[in-house]
Amino acid sequence: MKKRGIGLGCSWYGTGYGNGFPDVSSAFVEIHDDGSATVLTGAVDVGQGSNSIFAQIVAEELGLEAQDICVYSGDTDATPDSGTTAATRQTYNTGNAVLKAVRQAKSSLLVYAAREFSCPTSEGIELKEGYIGVKGDPSRRVPLADLVFQARLRGERFISAESSTARSTPVDPETGQGAPYWPYSFGCQSAEVEVDTETGVVQVLKVVAVHDVGKALNPTQVEGQIAGGVTQGIGYALLEELELNEGKIKNPAFSSYLIPTALDVPNIEAFFVEDAESTGPFGAKGLGEPAMLPTVAAIINAIDDAVGVRITSIPATPEKILKALAEKNGEVKKH
Amino acid sequence: MIEIKLVVNEKPYNLNVEPSERLIDALRNRLGLLGTKEGCGEGECGACTIIMDGKTVNSCLVLAAQANGSVLTTIEGVGNRRSPHPVQKAFVEVGAVQCGFCTPGMVLSAKNLLDKNSHPSESEIGVAMSGNLCRCTGYDKILRAVKIAAEEGKQ
Repeated sequence: MKKRGIGLGCSWYGTGYGNGFPDVSSAFVEIHDDGSATVLTGAVDVGQGSNSIFAQIVAEELGLEAQDICVYSGDTDATPDSGTTAATRQTYNTGNAVLKAVRQAKSSLLVYAAREFSCPTSEGIELKEGYIGVKGDPSRRVPLADLVFQARLRGERFISAESSTARSTPVDPETGQGAPYWPYSFGCQSAEVEVDTETGVVQVLKVVAVHDVGKALNPTQVEGQIAGGVTQGIGYALLEELELNEGKIKNPAFSSYLIPTALDVPNIEAFFVEDAESTGPFGAKGLGEPAMLPTVAAIINAIDDAVGVRITSIPATPEKILKALAEKNGEVKKH
Repeated sequence: MIEIKLVVNEKPYNLNVEPSERLIDALRNRLGLLGTKEGCGEGECGACTIIMDGKTVNSCLVLAAQANGSVLTTIEGVGNRRSPHPVQKAFVEVGAVQCGFCTPGMVLSAKNLLDKNSHPSESEIGVAMSGNLCRCTGYDKILRAVKIAAEEGKQ
């Protein structure tokens, strides 16, 4: 018989290295005389999209388009260290370093521009749509490229180097007290499953995932990260079993260590909550790992809801589910 | 060495290959077609998918000599930056690429499906794409992109 159930899972997750470990990201920025800008960081984009995020951050600050920004990343010969692409930290940590760097380069540009426009303070200068000029007076603005080109002829360059260090203190080993992480990322997911009581096979029918991302700098990437996380979570909950024998992996192949395929993924509905993180770049924080965390709990709870068995070790394979069902039915018979 | 004749992306080639040489190595090393990726090397992940005589194959499991007389399509033969294939256009539109390693194989599986069946159902799309593993995207946007490409083909 096929039985359906619904389960809920919630998560909170401290992003960054944590526990007082120095979590430092760095970035170099240069604003060029063709109206473009370059950002160099050691952050490696493994497909999660950090390079796009950094281009967007620089573009936003300079009033340019993301395609005007050239991002060099992960080249140890040329880029400053920005730590690993791990711990859900690149958008927040390296994003902060990039934001600090572009603001520093921008501040010297604004000072130069204030002189050029005879503006008493650089506060009166704005960068918008590829132009730089006096706030509120569209007649007094020039293309950014022209101003930077002119500055260059006078020996002025707009280059910066900045680092950002995340807040973290070690936990007291005696009391367990401390503030190991900042910020925290929150998520909640609900899963609907169908359990086949004859075979023990669980099919995930639908997952609704809601995550607090602070600010979605790139909503398409947020959706992609959530769908990717949910799918890894499905594998974690139902399929992926690392078998060890005296420290050696017994199933180091996709034929024996199963990860989800296109046929295992349900309808995934991704939503995000934007509760701005005051210490993050434009309010953003990380989403990488948190996206897969609630999935496991939601699926295990949904199995319980469907057939009334509590699976306490993952993955919830058909064998475990059939065993749990048999034990449950046996108990019922005894009474 | 074995002499083989084959057509790759509409160009004819004569190659001398080792008897044990895999098709993926001939494509990558002899023809320089580096768009075909090797993932697991044992026919499970689908990263090395190409189209051979109208069928998708894992090019890591085909010997180059077996491809003698065949017509092959690799990712290099499917659209380009200026005129992308509808599948490629849809992948870009919906953001179906994350790390990109599975993408060439995904695009070829999708193209071959649509070449054969211009009106695939959702489950037909799922089956056609199920031989290609992806660890980043959760397939969500990939499946959506194939659907969009199929709908565009209908118009």
